[in-house]
Amino acid sequence: MDTQVLYNIFHQDAFGFNIAMYIYLTGVSAGSFILSTLAYGFGLSQYKPLGKVGVVVATVVLIIAPLFLLFHVGMPYRAWHLFIYLNMASPITWGSFLLILYPINCVIYGYFMFKENMKLTRIFGLIGIPLAVSVHGYTGFILAFGKARALWNTALMPILFLVSAVISGIALMILVFIVKERFFSKEEKIDLKLVFSLGKLLAWMIVFDLFLVACDLIVLSISHSDAQAAAHLLLRGKFSFLFLVVENLLGKIVPFILLTVPKLRTLATTIVASILVVIGIFFMRYVVVLAGEYLPLL
Amino acid sequence: MSDKKKRYAMLIDLRKCVGCNACAVACKSENDVPLGVWRSWVKKVEKGQYPDSKEFFLPAVCNNCERPICVTVCPVNAGIKRPDGIVYIDPHRCIGCRYCMASCPYGVRYINPRKKIAEKCYWCHHRVDAGLKPACVLACPTGAITFGDLNDPRSDIAKAVAKNAVQVIKPEMGTDPQTFYIGLEQSAVEAKKIKEE
Repeated sequence: MDTQVLYNIFHQDAFGFNIAMYIYLTGVSAGSFILSTLAYGFGLSQYKPLGKVGVVVATVVLIIAPLFLLFHVGMPYRAWHLFIYLNMASPITWGSFLLILYPINCVIYGYFMFKENMKLTRIFGLIGIPLAVSVHGYTGFILAFGKARALWNTALMPILFLVSAVISGIALMILVFIVKERFFSKEEKIDLKLVFSLGKLLAWMIVFDLFLVACDLIVLSISHSDAQAAAHLLLRGKFSFLFLVVENLLGKIVPFILLTVPKLRTLATTIVASILVVIGIFFMRYVVVLAGEYLPLL
Repeated sequence: MSDKKKRYAMLIDLRKCVGCNACAVACKSENDVPLGVWRSWVKKVEKGQYPDSKEFFLPAVCNNCERPICVTVCPVNAGIKRPDGIVYIDPHRCIGCRYCMASCPYGVRYINPRKKIAEKCYWCHHRVDAGLKPACVLACPTGAITFGDLNDPRSDIAKAVAKNAVQVIKPEMGTDPQTFYIGLEQSAVEAKKIKEE
């Protein structure tokens, strides 16, 4: 039957660029923190040069990230309400405490690391892992609680966010590590073995991420009508270019090829792959947030 | 007076709705709703090919749900469900984070462009508390909207809900909406852009 909507009201989007940017930055922070604890928390000594870089990146990025939340909210000078009028059912309330505890823990962990106090560094590193996982995982819950938005309302959302957080964290760490070794170290020589081993880690995390994205899409395209509309929006609709080409082809598949094919494995291709991943994951956040609320509700 | 607690509800009889938008206009003037945003509006859908076609209407208001997701997710408890069922937003507490807008399955919330906080229809609780009917109920020229206490078996709305086949929008969302419709057209509820791409 032919039906046509003649008149309807659509209010403005709830979340926009600022939220996508916030989610992206917390992801980068959590990813670099987890990478930094590989050596200092779990004793994988080949990753030791990353420890200090990782904690500095994690702390700095996480101090910038909440600024985007303040740009987003209508009443930023009422932000203290978040700590007074608590609603423990709301993921934002969980987040407001995580956003205080996690950077404090980062600073303490970094302090002991620079003081070479290995025992306390290890303890605060291990405390920091659940905090880092939560500080990014809760953003997945924020979106998953939007139960009318088919793209968001999936239990995969927190884990999907965590895996892409680790990817963007590793990619940024490769870049920061190369810059630091090249320009700010005494030897001015890059530890290629470490860079390539990080590249390998990145490549396999990309495979896991692609697997999760595929799981999400396959179920969406078979599920109820709103979910099918969301899958169509990503594959054929307005967000198909950003989703298929920018996020998945340029942001995941091309870097994976650059990082795994032995003939292509050089410092330059690793840098290119990392840059592509860092940009690709940003567009992943952007597509998830904006495509999720693109379809009308009524 | 019954000792059972009140549960306000709204019933919109779409067989009587003529799509005149009087409810939307009355709402705007009663609640001082800024330009560009609406607390209530009439969605219009045309079914069939002219001349064998008909327009169907969906007057949209807040459903003041029994299990409101907007109240669950509000991080500062600004969304409040009163004991009589009306869901409203404390304007002094809201920080404008828009999480309620993101989670509401009905898209009835907006950010007030001047106050920068979330607002929505709350069945004119300032009028209801004074013993008056909501503005849209009074404005409706065909009497299509009924408002009252669902727990009072002698109220108009309790009788009408009991005696008619009623529907709610998106019952699958588990929010238990309390705005009921008689003669709801399926295609009027389906989410669809005005212009298909």
